[in-house]
Amino acid sequence: MAEETIYEGMKRRGFSRREFLNTCSVIAASLGLSQLPFVNGQTFAQDSTSQKAVTDLVAATLKSKPKLPVIWIEIQSCTGCSEALTRSHSPSLKDLVLNHISVEYHETLSAAAGFQLEENKQKIMKEYNGKYVLVIEGSIPLADDGIYCVIGGRTSVDILKEAAAGAAAVISTGNCAAFGGIPHANPNPTDAVGVWKIITDKPVLNIPGCPAIPEVFTATLVHFLIFGALPELDSLNRPKAFYGNTIHDRCYRRPFYEAGKFALSFDDEAAQKGHCLYKLGCKGPITYNSCAVMKWDGGLSFPIQSGHPCLGCSEPNFWDGGGFYQGLSAPIEKPELVAVGAVAAAGAAVGLGMAMANNLKKKHLHKEQE
Amino acid sequence: MDWNAILEFARGPLFKVALLVFIGGMFYRLVRVISLGWSKDKVDSKGSKVKGVLISYMKGFFILPFFPWVKNTFTKNPITFLAGGIFHLGLFLIIFLGTPHMLVWKSLIGIGWYTLPLPIVDWFAAVTIVSMIILLINRFVNPVLKLISGPAEKFNWLVVFIPMVTGYMMTHHLFFRYEALFSFHMLSVDFLLIWIPFSRISHFMFYFFSKSIHGAQFGKRAVTP
Repeated sequence: MAEETIYEGMKRRGFSRREFLNTCSVIAASLGLSQLPFVNGQTFAQDSTSQKAVTDLVAATLKSKPKLPVIWIEIQSCTGCSEALTRSHSPSLKDLVLNHISVEYHETLSAAAGFQLEENKQKIMKEYNGKYVLVIEGSIPLADDGIYCVIGGRTSVDILKEAAAGAAAVISTGNCAAFGGIPHANPNPTDAVGVWKIITDKPVLNIPGCPAIPEVFTATLVHFLIFGALPELDSLNRPKAFYGNTIHDRCYRRPFYEAGKFALSFDDEAAQKGHCLYKLGCKGPITYNSCAVMKWDGGLSFPIQSGHPCLGCSEPNFWDGGGFYQGLSAPIEKPELVAVGAVAAAGAAVGLGMAMANNLKKKHLHKEQE
Repeated sequence: MDWNAILEFARGPLFKVALLVFIGGMFYRLVRVISLGWSKDKVDSKGSKVKGVLISYMKGFFILPFFPWVKNTFTKNPITFLAGGIFHLGLFLIIFLGTPHMLVWKSLIGIGWYTLPLPIVDWFAAVTIVSMIILLINRFVNPVLKLISGPAEKFNWLVVFIPMVTGYMMTHHLFFRYEALFSFHMLSVDFLLIWIPFSRISHFMFYFFSKSIHGAQFGKRAVTP
């Protein structure tokens, strides 16, 4: 028997056609699509500019495709991205899991554990070879042959390479999987790196953040499900739809920045009035993410709205960016007082030496002239 | 291209090295100039040299800039006087009273201060950039300046102009991504820091020495100088 399509599965669970089409519209909206995008350099329908075309495409896909198998591997992570995902709103994780995707392996969310879960992963990788989406959470330690993260007696590098070999797409969720994140921070004892430093033979889509915005993750997954391809990416392999603007560009406190109204401490009058947090170290101007637009917890708030400067958690090396509460313009590294003293003394010594040499030369010339 | 990585380098190790070269280089220049020495008074001065110095600073900072027709500098070359004056004033305001720049000072010396609103600093930046362009054109057009301008003068102009213009573009998000412009700005500032001690841009430090020496000379009351 052919594999059950998503639509068939929904029908079996009692969804009416109206409810199904409603779901399709919601998915199209969650992708932020008012018209069909170019995917792999082509559009999908002749009338690609109408919103109906998008819903039609979503409906056609859900009618023809089975659920998308997902394998989720956690490496050096705090599980924060998984935690965030469980709080996704549109589409919610519940909607995704029940209707559109099938999470076949997830160390935290799976009911099974240990060898049974590992066996199941092997089975799924074989059964859905070339079809499943591999999601990685956490960085990969390379130091000392990768022994700093061993799961089921195998290093994480091994596990990653094996799982990536048969994946249709690889998604790194969170800053750790994308760029190494906190384990990558100086002095990086485990030599932690992001997935794209290891998997180079296929595109790795990065959804950085600490944690990644859950709706960005779910929408990206749905995009892959609908279009069968990854969305358009920026130079750091992040989907442009969600990482196209800086936090600063979309920040509701931006007018205060323009007007030069800044909070100088977390409890001064300016902070209470909601003035700009630039002087308190906000990294919004160089951080690309959708926090200021999509926000968190179903659009409730985001860090700047809660009165805290942006940490820049969707950018590489954000942990080593010179201190969270130090202004963005301030240098990341500055010379120590001893070094300043040493170069000043060295400069003065060289200057004095040359002056003395010149004086001697002058005296010598005078003597010769006499 | 990962501009944030370049920016990290320009704000990090490169800035550190550039600042050390600047400090070492300026001390070298300072010692060299002081070691040149100055002539001893052969006759005791009746006037106060300190008073002369003070009057010289008062005149230079608070009186003559507001009565420029008194000195030939204005009547003979008003462009140099006006554009040069505006350029220097704008530069000081931007460096000390622009918020991002104050934060650099704060991180280096530990003291912060209130800053001007962005639109005001922004206007000063625009006026400063325009005055720099006028000064360059004047350098090419004025027959005397043309004669005394070598490649070093033009290069020095460029080295100061690039940080100015990249800073302005960055504030207005013009043409490039913010972090790319921030990287250009920081790289050019790092180069400027390294270049200052070995160029005539170091005049900002020597200006005060020459002003003091001249003031002391003016304050002297003696038969022989």
